[in-house]
Amino acid sequence: MSSLNASLATALSGLNAEQGALQVTTNNVANVNTPGYSREEPVLVASDPVVIDPLAFGTGVTLQSVKSITDPILEAQVQQQTQAQGQFSALASALQQTQVNFSSSTGDIGTAISNFFDSVNQLSTDPSDLSLRQGVLTAADNLATSFNSTANNLTQQQASLDGSVVQTVGQINQLTAQIAQLNTQVRYLQNAGENAGAFVGQRTQAIDQLSALVDVSVIPSDNTLTLTTANGTPLVIGQQSFQLQTQINSSGLHDVYAQGADITSAIVSGQLAGTLQARDQQIPAVQTQLDTLASGLANAVNTVQVGGFDLHGNAGTNLFNPPPVSGVGAAANLSVAITDPTLLAASSDGTVGSNGNAEAMYALNNQTFIGGQTPTNYYSGIVFDVGNATANASAEQSASALMLQQLNDQVSSVSGVSLDEEAANMVQYQDAYAASAQVITTINDMMYTVVNMSTLTG
Amino acid sequence: MRVNPNPYPDLIAETAQTKQQIATDEQQIASGSSVNVPSDNPGAAAVLIQDAGRTAQDDQFQRSIGSVQGEIQSADSNLNSVITALQQAISLGVEGANGTLNAADRATILTQVQGIQSQLVSLANLSYQGNYVFAGTSTQTTPYVLDPSSPSGVVYQGNTGTNSVTLGNHFSLQTNVPGSQLFSASGNDVFQSIQDLINGLETGNTASIGTAVTEIGTASTYINTQAEFYGNALNQLTAQQTYLGSDTTQLAEQQSIVGQADLPAVISNLTTAQTSLQATLEAIAQTESTNLFQYLK
Repeated sequence: MSSLNASLATALSGLNAEQGALQVTTNNVANVNTPGYSREEPVLVASDPVVIDPLAFGTGVTLQSVKSITDPILEAQVQQQTQAQGQFSALASALQQTQVNFSSSTGDIGTAISNFFDSVNQLSTDPSDLSLRQGVLTAADNLATSFNSTANNLTQQQASLDGSVVQTVGQINQLTAQIAQLNTQVRYLQNAGENAGAFVGQRTQAIDQLSALVDVSVIPSDNTLTLTTANGTPLVIGQQSFQLQTQINSSGLHDVYAQGADITSAIVSGQLAGTLQARDQQIPAVQTQLDTLASGLANAVNTVQVGGFDLHGNAGTNLFNPPPVSGVGAAANLSVAITDPTLLAASSDGTVGSNGNAEAMYALNNQTFIGGQTPTNYYSGIVFDVGNATANASAEQSASALMLQQLNDQVSSVSGVSLDEEAANMVQYQDAYAASAQVITTINDMMYTVVNMSTLTG
Repeated sequence: MRVNPNPYPDLIAETAQTKQQIATDEQQIASGSSVNVPSDNPGAAAVLIQDAGRTAQDDQFQRSIGSVQGEIQSADSNLNSVITALQQAISLGVEGANGTLNAADRATILTQVQGIQSQLVSLANLSYQGNYVFAGTSTQTTPYVLDPSSPSGVVYQGNTGTNSVTLGNHFSLQTNVPGSQLFSASGNDVFQSIQDLINGLETGNTASIGTAVTEIGTASTYINTQAEFYGNALNQLTAQQTYLGSDTTQLAEQQSIVGQADLPAVISNLTTAQTSLQATLEAIAQTESTNLFQYLK
């Protein structure tokens, strides 16, 4: 047989459950704009029935748990795309700075090469003219300066990228420490059977941030997560994080180390990978091309110069200080060796009026002696390469940004808080609460009736 | 399917993208160029650099032509003066060969011919902007000096060197002829022929005078042929100037095809982008004001 007291308890369970459910809605509404927050749902279950032979009576409702609505597969995709996005945006922004050196139509190396050969052609029309000779020296000087400043800009950019490598490693270490700590909290709550949704959300958010910096693989294990880089270097194992270190290499740049091993070249994604790619591959490639051009040009001009005669009838000497045999640093250190315009070897026979050697020097302008190309065409090739690399990185960045945006939309469509939904839920919980309260009032009335009935009979 | 309840990130990303497009369009309109950084169009950027190099080269060739033109013109006009002087010498020689002339008349003619000799020396010593034009490549050495001990009456101090100047791709022009070839060529020696006339007038040998007059005539014809070299050179320079001018125009056209912004298209893109930006911004403003909470009383 049932009792009014039992009904009261059942109605009370309704009140409690709806209050709890409303608390979940309140929390969802409060976190409507919290980044990384996944909406939560109350899990209401019917309480175990009481069997009073031969009937089974329900005993109300229990708020069993609060569940975070997430899609782990989507989240993994977001993390992966975030890595690509981080990589390409770091690379694209580095290359956009690099290409500025090759954007100007005046004052760039191409113009300086033109101006140098123009001055030699002009000298050819009157090889004994001192002002024309000075013109060649000035143009040679400008050419050297143009190489120097472009090479120095690249070196400076490389140094600033190196600084950002160190900074990024610091950020990675901070995030992995934070994730290890969140792992501890999630594990503690989940082992106690509690809802760890808030911490899981924070952890997901931290992993997203980490993904923007470095390639991360997430391996779930026993209420915690293990994070490694793509090549298996551990970053976080359960409650412990592993710090990455940086160490200066022979080029004066920082390599990334994990537990004593150099993992610099094994980092394949994320902002760190993009920065390293710009620092270690793209910029050095441009530097090598510039060195090839500078040393090729200087050596060829010197060879012609040494083969001719100066205004005094003496054999010519180097116009440019000879670049290093390896070519490394040729662009950064290119400089003019002579300051006396009479020392320019314009003459091919030792007479003051001969322009034979100036003509030979001018002919270099159209000779394909640098990588099978003329100096100007070789330079235009460098500009093409830089422009192409920048355009590709920018396109990859746009594509991955679009993908990421779409994935985030999908995540949001699963986990995002909808105010409409929450408002509807609120009304629903409010109505149920009011109904339960009404039931209690009714039971109260019935109780009163019963109590008064006994007074009457007594 | 559940709809993404938070459209803001999308809308904001779209706004940023449209603003980027507007900035790019505005830059193209401002600069008039579609290649403002190499990544705008790497291939075009490379072509523009090569074109700029060739244009600069053409401009330089024009300047160099200007420089050599003056020297060649003055050499050309000097040779004409030489021919005129030689014609005078021939007339004087014909006069001097007349057997009826007395010694005093012949002496007067002799003085005049000697004057012509000096004039020829000074014509052969033409200097242009501090350089001797007919000294070969010894341009700082006076090519001819009078020397009575020399059979031709003069000594050539220059050399036989010639210069060529590159004035176009695959076009190079010889810019000088040495005095040794012009005035002292064997069999056509200008100074020898004048000296022979002087010798004939001094001795009064009419036969020698007659021979000298013939020699001068031969030398004059030879100089005339040589002068053609300079005339041809001037013609070639004019032709090359015309070619370079058209090449520069062609390069400029190519540059504008490759690198110039298509303004009508860019402006139309800009307008579209601006409209789209406005629409997106309005969408953001609208989204804000609709959810169920506002309808619950």
